[in-house]
Amino acid sequence: MKKNSLRFFLSLLALILIIGLIGCSSDSSQGTSQNQDTSSNDSSSDSSNDNESQERMSVTIMAPSFSPEGLDSDSPALKAIEDYTNMDINLQLVANANYEDRFNVTLASGDLPHIMVAYKTPSFINAARDGAFWDITDYLDDYENLRQANEIVLNNTSIDGRIYGVYRSRPLGRNAATINTEWLDNLGLDIPTTIDEFYEVLRAFTYDDPNQSGQDDTYGMVVSEWAGPWNTMQVWMGAPNKWGHDENGQLKPDFMFDEYREALRFFKKLYDEGLVNEDFAVMDSGQWFDPIVNGTAGVVVDVADQANRLQNRITENYTEDDIILDVFGAVEGPHGLRNLPTAGYHGVLAISRTSVTTEEELRRVLQFLNDLNDEVPQNLAYNGVEGIHHEVNDGVLDIIAQRDGGTLFDREVRDLNQFQMHVSGDLFLKAPQTALQKRQDEVMEANMDIVVANPAEPLISPTYTERGQQLDNIIDDARIKFIVGQIDEDGLDEAIALWLRSGGEEYIAEINEAYQIAQAAQ
Amino acid sequence: MKSHNTPMGRVFDVFNHIILALIALAMIVPFLYVIAGSFATEAELARRPFFIFPETFTTGAYQYIFSTPTFIRSIGVSIWVTVVGTIVSLSLTLMMGYALSKSRLLGKNVIIYLVIFTIIFQGGMIPTYLLVRDLGLLNSLWALILPIAMNPMWLIIVISFFRSLPNELEESAKIDGASDIKIFLSIALPLSKPIIATFTLFYAVQYWGDYFNALLYISDNAKYPVMLLLQNIMTMADMRFGEVDALVEQPDQSLKLAVIVVATLPIMFVYPFLQKHFAKGMLLGSVKG
Amino acid sequence: MPKVETSQRIPVQQLPTNKVTKWQMIVRDKWLYFLLIPGLIWFIVFRYVPMWGTLIAFQNYSPFLGFWGSEWVGFTHFERLFQNPDFYRILRNTLILALYETLFVFPAPIILALMLNEIRFTAYKRTIQTLVYFPNFLSWVIVASLTYVFFTTSGGIVNVIIERFTGSTIFFLGDPEWFRTMIIGQQIWKNVGFGTIIFLAALANVSKEQYEAAIVDGAGRFRRMWHVTLPAIRHVIVILLILNMGNFLDQGFQQIYLMTNSLNRSVADVFDVYIYFSGITQGAFSHSTAVGLFKGVVGIILILTTRYIAKKLKQETLF
Repeated sequence: MKKNSLRFFLSLLALILIIGLIGCSSDSSQGTSQNQDTSSNDSSSDSSNDNESQERMSVTIMAPSFSPEGLDSDSPALKAIEDYTNMDINLQLVANANYEDRFNVTLASGDLPHIMVAYKTPSFINAARDGAFWDITDYLDDYENLRQANEIVLNNTSIDGRIYGVYRSRPLGRNAATINTEWLDNLGLDIPTTIDEFYEVLRAFTYDDPNQSGQDDTYGMVVSEWAGPWNTMQVWMGAPNKWGHDENGQLKPDFMFDEYREALRFFKKLYDEGLVNEDFAVMDSGQWFDPIVNGTAGVVVDVADQANRLQNRITENYTEDDIILDVFGAVEGPHGLRNLPTAGYHGVLAISRTSVTTEEELRRVLQFLNDLNDEVPQNLAYNGVEGIHHEVNDGVLDIIAQRDGGTLFDREVRDLNQFQMHVSGDLFLKAPQTALQKRQDEVMEANMDIVVANPAEPLISPTYTERGQQLDNIIDDARIKFIVGQIDEDGLDEAIALWLRSGGEEYIAEINEAYQIAQAAQ
Repeated sequence: MKSHNTPMGRVFDVFNHIILALIALAMIVPFLYVIAGSFATEAELARRPFFIFPETFTTGAYQYIFSTPTFIRSIGVSIWVTVVGTIVSLSLTLMMGYALSKSRLLGKNVIIYLVIFTIIFQGGMIPTYLLVRDLGLLNSLWALILPIAMNPMWLIIVISFFRSLPNELEESAKIDGASDIKIFLSIALPLSKPIIATFTLFYAVQYWGDYFNALLYISDNAKYPVMLLLQNIMTMADMRFGEVDALVEQPDQSLKLAVIVVATLPIMFVYPFLQKHFAKGMLLGSVKG
Repeated sequence: MPKVETSQRIPVQQLPTNKVTKWQMIVRDKWLYFLLIPGLIWFIVFRYVPMWGTLIAFQNYSPFLGFWGSEWVGFTHFERLFQNPDFYRILRNTLILALYETLFVFPAPIILALMLNEIRFTAYKRTIQTLVYFPNFLSWVIVASLTYVFFTTSGGIVNVIIERFTGSTIFFLGDPEWFRTMIIGQQIWKNVGFGTIIFLAALANVSKEQYEAAIVDGAGRFRRMWHVTLPAIRHVIVILLILNMGNFLDQGFQQIYLMTNSLNRSVADVFDVYIYFSGITQGAFSHSTAVGLFKGVVGIILILTTRYIAKKLKQETLF
């Protein structure tokens, strides 16, 4: 009886599987029809005021959403963008929490929106290679705004040397350090400009009672288990940004350079002398900034915009007199002032080939994306409609919709910036800034001249795609263990040997090969 | 139960009470921190790693939450999904569980194997999404219920519970000519109040806590359950969940904690209400005697 | 209870098993099938129709190309898994942690339920019961944050106390030796109260008479627990244990990931973390499905083995 039921169960299972498979065969065929009838309900109201020669095209955009409210489909700001671009925009906003999952199921469903915000994940890379999205490399130059896209960033977004979407621009020089100037003043020190000064400041912050409490209750710099700060500081110290050219012109990973090793020795010294929090290797990232806010640590290396955020946590709605923090981009190392850049973008707007089928339509959509970069839509997306969401008095912007908890702004404006690119620059009005925010912008601007590009950024290695996380862990773990003294320099060498054995060898070869191909293509 | 206690037993009693009190304390203290933190200022949250009474008491986070209709509406959605879902789930589970608890049922073993197989192997996110779409459930609240309407593990436990019920009452009802449905409704279910209470709670907690299905299947913000809002706020600017976008304003720590309180308190109150039903099974004793 | 079982089975086995009788059995139990069908349909539609998703383990699945458009690659992903230099370390870590979970996390709610069952003041009992169930509602992110606050060597209260008594601190969060203890501790803390509920429900079925009879027999506290209370929940324990075996290799990605750092990764790498990074950040749907299948096969073997042992020990196993 038992045996029989098991056998029966297995054959039943097979049968159901077959039914399931037949069921799923209908999936891919039935896409794309759904998008046509969208946003018809509101077209009647504003048809009176626009006499455009061309008929409006309906375009669906999928983007992440950060507003708890979502966006009202009859938001006046959205309407104004539609009027400006002569398009019917149908937004599919997806809660940001797991945007990636929603992106994947949308790919699988075959119902691709015209435009999707896509992050450079293997899933997007594969879909682009399989022809899900338009290759727009050769079209960009035909559009006045898109033409102005930054070459480095474009290169970063590329897949196999081709561009599959217009990037959403972000500051390239965002990495910076935040420092407590009150402590500096107490000690009679200036913002450090060299590695040696940086060390002296951290030392003084730890041992010279910077808060004048008479107690040993401070230390120099706070680091958490997140490895970002070490990555930034090793570039200050002259190590390459992930990949560098060796003396033979071959690309090698950063940790094979002497400057990297030198940087690690410096980090170890900081740790050994107690200038960095002793438990950094296990510190929960959620608590990373608390020591700055509560005045136990004086420096944190993160992003420039963190300073304003931290100042706000120290004194809510701070005035100029309250400011005790300042920002600096980098300190000078053996190879001069250098800093680690960010990717310079956060996702691209990719155009799907299943919804946008003809080149004519593609041109129309590209024109739309181009127009979104104009000043008017930028202002609408960031500040809403003048008179409803914001006012400008003597050139000073006041976003009135953000008052009273900002519900109006959340409902009618906030998520509109998720399909903004500003590849030709930030043209929208910004609210008046504090001195600290101005400093942040200056630092990010200054960083643009000193950031070190990663020559391998756009290159794709199959080995890395498969085993990247493991490879990175080997090196990252060895670095942390070296800093806290669990392994010595021999241990570092062993880690590198292990890295090479675990696929690093192939990774280096693949990157160099891809680099040659990319160079030859240019 | 009167006390028939030996000295040994009394010592045990004292220890038992004390240990349980300590355990309960260890369980409740972190939650008190979450509540206290939701009323504290940002500066205090950074300065004091742990506290149960905030020095400066502020309700700013709650004012923000309740300044918009969003949270109240999403709690409404969650309540609907939880109530309807729990009713659907309980009905399916109890009915199927009762049928499968009868070993005379032909094919019972095959079906139990089928059920256990699904504890271990599942189709995964994409096939389930395509199924839900093909059933026309996208953007419907039923998509938050049907894909998780039964838990195979709990079904098996329900079967096992029904099996442990005494047979005599059912046998005699059968002789009186009652149908299986009548026996199920008028004999088996009333005897099963403790498991019904248990799985009411389990399913309710499952539906209340689910945000992933909403994320996949719901596009209309008006239909977001509160846990999705919670998840959104918790991951918005948390580098543990990936790159933090320069554009995104980070929510305050106190707001995060307040959202946790608002999102979890309603479901936590379910248990004390159900609790008294756990004792009802005691009437079994009289049935047996 | 087992006695009831056997007496119930006898009539079925006595029936001659020819086709006519099977039909008669179905007709006889028509109302039971009526109760069964909605659930069965649900299982077929929502659990078996999507089951084709497991077959992508043998493909290079691309969501855009779909199931029929993706390339079939046979056992490539399994080979890749087994040839991964880290495979045995991950397997070992997973097995050890799973074993600890079975030994410590699984019995914890049973013990707590027995302790609660001995409390006679209803109000006290209910209060404790309610309080212990709270942690279940805190997310792992919060649990991890609080764990850091309490256990860090820089001023965490636990280490402050330890230092006062021993003069040295314990590196709970970074020492690989402590990783498993911390994980198990967190799991017990978070889940024990909620897990107790099901055993308390089972205990509700124990009659007063059974206790009183035991008392008349002169049974002490612990003998009553052993001979009356435990047997009453034994069937639940056995079933839960068997079913848990099916998910033996599941660890829950979030908790492990949040507690992992550069210093303890050597013991923290488990399959669920591997699946996360190969499946989600590397987009390899097929590979992570293959790992899932491997885990599932292990689960099936363990379920059948446990069931076999339980049968040998004369325990009721349901199937």
